[in-house]
Amino acid sequence: MDSVFVHRGSETAILGSGRLQGLRVALQPNLSVAGWPTDAGSRALADFKALEDATIVGRLRQAGACLCGSTRMSEFGFGLENSQAGEALRTKTADLELVLDLMGESRLAAARAGVCGLKPSYGLLSRLGLVGLVPSMECCGLLAADVARIRDTLQAIAGKDDLDFSLPDEEPSDLAPRAIEPRRTTLGLVGEAQGTLSAERDKAFRAAVGKLAAAGFAIKRLSMPDFPLFSLVHRIVGSVEASSCAGRYDSVRYGRRVPGARNWNEMYLTARGAAFGSHLKSYLLSGAFFQFERYQAFENACRIRARLLSEMRRLTAQVDALVSPAVGPVDLGAPPSLAETYAGFASTLFANVTGQPALVLPAADVAIQLVGARRGDGLLLALGERLLGIVKGGS
Amino acid sequence: MRFSQRVFCGRLTANDVGQKVLLAGWVDAFRDHGGLLFVHLRDRSGIVQIVFSPEVASADVCQRAASLRSEYCIAVGGAVRARLPGTENPHIETSGIEVFVTELTVLAESDALPFAVSSKGMVAGAVSSGADNVAEELRLQYRYLDIRRPSMRDNLVARHRIFQCVREFLDSRGFVEVETPVLTASTPEGARDYLVPSRVHPKSFYALPQSPQLFKQLLMVGGMERYFQLARCFRDEDLRPNRQPEFTQLDIEASFIDEEFLYELLEELTVKMFAIGNIAVPRPFPRMTYAEAMDTTGSDRPDLRFGLRFVDVTDVFARTNYAIFRQILQRGGCIKGINVKGQSDKLSKNVLQNEYAKEIVPSFGAKGMTWMRAEGGKLESNIVQFFGPEELALLRRRFDVADGDVLLMIADPSYAVVTSALGQLRLHLANRLGLIPADSFRPVWITEFPLFEATEEGGVTSSHHPFTAPDRTDFDPKNVEELLKLRSRAYDLVMNGEELGGGSIRINKRDLQRKIFTALGLTEEDIKARFGFFLRAFDFGAPPHGGLALGMDRTVSMILQTPSIREVIAFPKNRSAACPLTGAPSTVKREQLAELGLLDLGGSVVLPGTAEKQDRVDRLSWLSRIGVAAEERALVEAVLDESGQLARLAGERAGQEQPVYSVAPVANRTRPGTEAKRSPLAASGQLLKSAPALKGSYYKVVSILD
Repeated sequence: MDSVFVHRGSETAILGSGRLQGLRVALQPNLSVAGWPTDAGSRALADFKALEDATIVGRLRQAGACLCGSTRMSEFGFGLENSQAGEALRTKTADLELVLDLMGESRLAAARAGVCGLKPSYGLLSRLGLVGLVPSMECCGLLAADVARIRDTLQAIAGKDDLDFSLPDEEPSDLAPRAIEPRRTTLGLVGEAQGTLSAERDKAFRAAVGKLAAAGFAIKRLSMPDFPLFSLVHRIVGSVEASSCAGRYDSVRYGRRVPGARNWNEMYLTARGAAFGSHLKSYLLSGAFFQFERYQAFENACRIRARLLSEMRRLTAQVDALVSPAVGPVDLGAPPSLAETYAGFASTLFANVTGQPALVLPAADVAIQLVGARRGDGLLLALGERLLGIVKGGS
Repeated sequence: MRFSQRVFCGRLTANDVGQKVLLAGWVDAFRDHGGLLFVHLRDRSGIVQIVFSPEVASADVCQRAASLRSEYCIAVGGAVRARLPGTENPHIETSGIEVFVTELTVLAESDALPFAVSSKGMVAGAVSSGADNVAEELRLQYRYLDIRRPSMRDNLVARHRIFQCVREFLDSRGFVEVETPVLTASTPEGARDYLVPSRVHPKSFYALPQSPQLFKQLLMVGGMERYFQLARCFRDEDLRPNRQPEFTQLDIEASFIDEEFLYELLEELTVKMFAIGNIAVPRPFPRMTYAEAMDTTGSDRPDLRFGLRFVDVTDVFARTNYAIFRQILQRGGCIKGINVKGQSDKLSKNVLQNEYAKEIVPSFGAKGMTWMRAEGGKLESNIVQFFGPEELALLRRRFDVADGDVLLMIADPSYAVVTSALGQLRLHLANRLGLIPADSFRPVWITEFPLFEATEEGGVTSSHHPFTAPDRTDFDPKNVEELLKLRSRAYDLVMNGEELGGGSIRINKRDLQRKIFTALGLTEEDIKARFGFFLRAFDFGAPPHGGLALGMDRTVSMILQTPSIREVIAFPKNRSAACPLTGAPSTVKREQLAELGLLDLGGSVVLPGTAEKQDRVDRLSWLSRIGVAAEERALVEAVLDESGQLARLAGERAGQEQPVYSVAPVANRTRPGTEAKRSPLAASGQLLKSAPALKGSYYKVVSILD
């Protein structure tokens, strides 16, 4: 078996022609490609083959992209355990990867692989045909060696989808390239978002910021005392949504049955018990706990989310983008606990809670994350393109 | 108005024409013909048409009559008249007459009805609506309205007639009805007891009787000689469609009698009861041993309304070359079959192979089925080439084969598998091929049941109950093989494949009873603890006795040919053992539990079942229907502990903001300009492609507990 891919597409299967002509795109088995195994990394969808293309997959094909395969992923894309995201780029078997971003998976995979990774604004990409887990926070991330390729792809796949009823009716964002004038551009540094970096990384991050200042960008220091609450909100809201989302995997329409059940209830109990891995199962049961036994906690988390959103809007309004390090323990060893998983994504998950676009750029020793205002993906990509040269340059 | 002068609606006849009468009842239906108002007035006896005419009734009566609605309870006075020729209504008992009202009293008004009570059209040829399509749950919730409907009323009256018939008949035979207690101790019937807590004796419980078994035997010891009771019994069993948690059984016990006495008594009684439903049951009832019933029908309650008896063909294939049969016979198995006479045009090769052999018979528990069709003087099948001419010739003789016949055979190393699967196949075929004649009633006594059944631990357990007399008394209570060969003096009365009742001759000698307990592996202490008071009675000269119990709900339902036994019970429980009318069973106040001493039961003694609810992992696992394996519990426990802390933290840090559930809310609606349409994937059946178990265009799931 292939160590990176679970399924390989045919190199010649290019349908349309357009701006992505010949671009080799790897995706994950949670995005429907007609006829491809689409188990989202879970036994709950074992043997499931997608019946039709996801909206964004169809758009990729029309633009001339070549679907080169789907890569190994964690169960429903939660965390990066057993995930090979980014590897297809690193091994140059793909030019662009689509990786589901629930809490920063696509961005940390990009950092791991030394490539650029964008989690677009929430609501920019159709989720029709995506096997998701946390509907209010998830979005497909785009990984590529350079920002231009991400922009081109995003332009091809973003936008309205009449069939995705969860997509807000917003006008399309302007994704066109634009010039960045450093002297008229302010970058914000949120103290609390930097977390606790190792001395080496802290030095690397300071050096990167120093280069940006030297290039003429204005640096503004900001503070957000509530920043640590992002993890709390994500964990409560995320687990509740996941527990509710996973309710559809009942071994009736797909998945596998555990034989011997004497009635419906037993059938669900045994099939679902066998379907979910322990890590995800603990997440789902934690969500059930909030739903059925501490519902107030869910509402409280949504209240805090409202506060975090408005604080973040206030900060973002003062600058053109926030700059922070993107670091996570991307260890492929023993399965972490939920707390460890969340700790690993502490630097990225806030953008999932707020729905802001977040772009990770590879840089020496520490990856740099740029976060813009929601729906400001065009500006963010332009900034990224400009910054990439600067932060990479001196290393 | 004086009710003492009231006459019954349904009893009025043409002889009453010209009489002034006083009627009372309910407005079944009404029809307004511009000033002339026709009303169907219904009481328990039936319906009569009453007419409010301005030419006969005062303006005041006509005005009040105009406000009558369905199911108003009214009393009227008026004169009986013959209907004009051509206006008779054949739907009702009083088709040729009507009553012209002069007095009207509205006794009580009615709200709008949850379902139509009326089932009789007001004019000849009208289609009666009826409540037949009303959801049963709704009928049970408003059972008092349901009982106003003639069909329910007739059922309850017929039930009463049958019960009267039982009482009169048994009284004439010297039987005495004695009531036995409903609050009693647990009896050894084997099903779960309904328990009733005692307030006077805290933490002690009465059990509701599963049957009056012990009491009726004690009445025999008490010298009552012939006892019966229409007894209410209670069993907390798993739910099944035609079963009620409380049910009525005719309980009979008599002394100084043998099986023949009871057979004669019950046959006579059965004939009389069924006669009330205009059903003639032929006597004497045939008898069949348990062994024969299993051997030829695969059931201990055989439906004898049709043939399809099993034929054993094990010996026919004793030296067969057909590998599957040979291997089964080498393992001590057997082969039985059914000849479905003259049905080969309905049982094509395709049906036999793809439906029966591949799907239906495996679902009955057998591994497969062998079929042969007789055509043109030959047996044909997909495997007929494996058999020699002698085998086929012998098979033809054994099954008495003619062209058009279909032979179905099941072979298995286990006798139980062969008879059980073939028995289910027999019923399936009879239903599918329409071989069950309507209005046919075929009783049979099943006798000579095994006294014991083998347990998994290598011992024996009573097939019936431990007081049933064995066919012989000289057995060795330690010899399991011998014990399993013993027959009991028990008998079941079976009608059309349903067990109406059963009973046995009991043990009346204490030595024999002791021997049976020894065979069951019970110690002296066990015996004393479970049956002490009962066995003590047998130390005082117990007479030989025996009896039987008949399920009356099922019997009445069969006589009246209703689709379920709930149709013959005034206030039944629904399929989930609840009463939609009263809401029973319901929770009770804490104070009531405290008074009964039930609140602190969880302290020193854990209440059964409550432990699971107290364990949050079990509770959440159940709520989410996600099984948690033993090795995962510690992880889940830790995560839930952590979740509790997070919930607390969220409580501390939550402000006054309105909760936000999405950063870019959408109205969950169909977008303008788009319309709902069926997915082509659904139409092509593709949508079901990934289901783990499919049958045709349906998902296959496990059975529903019903």
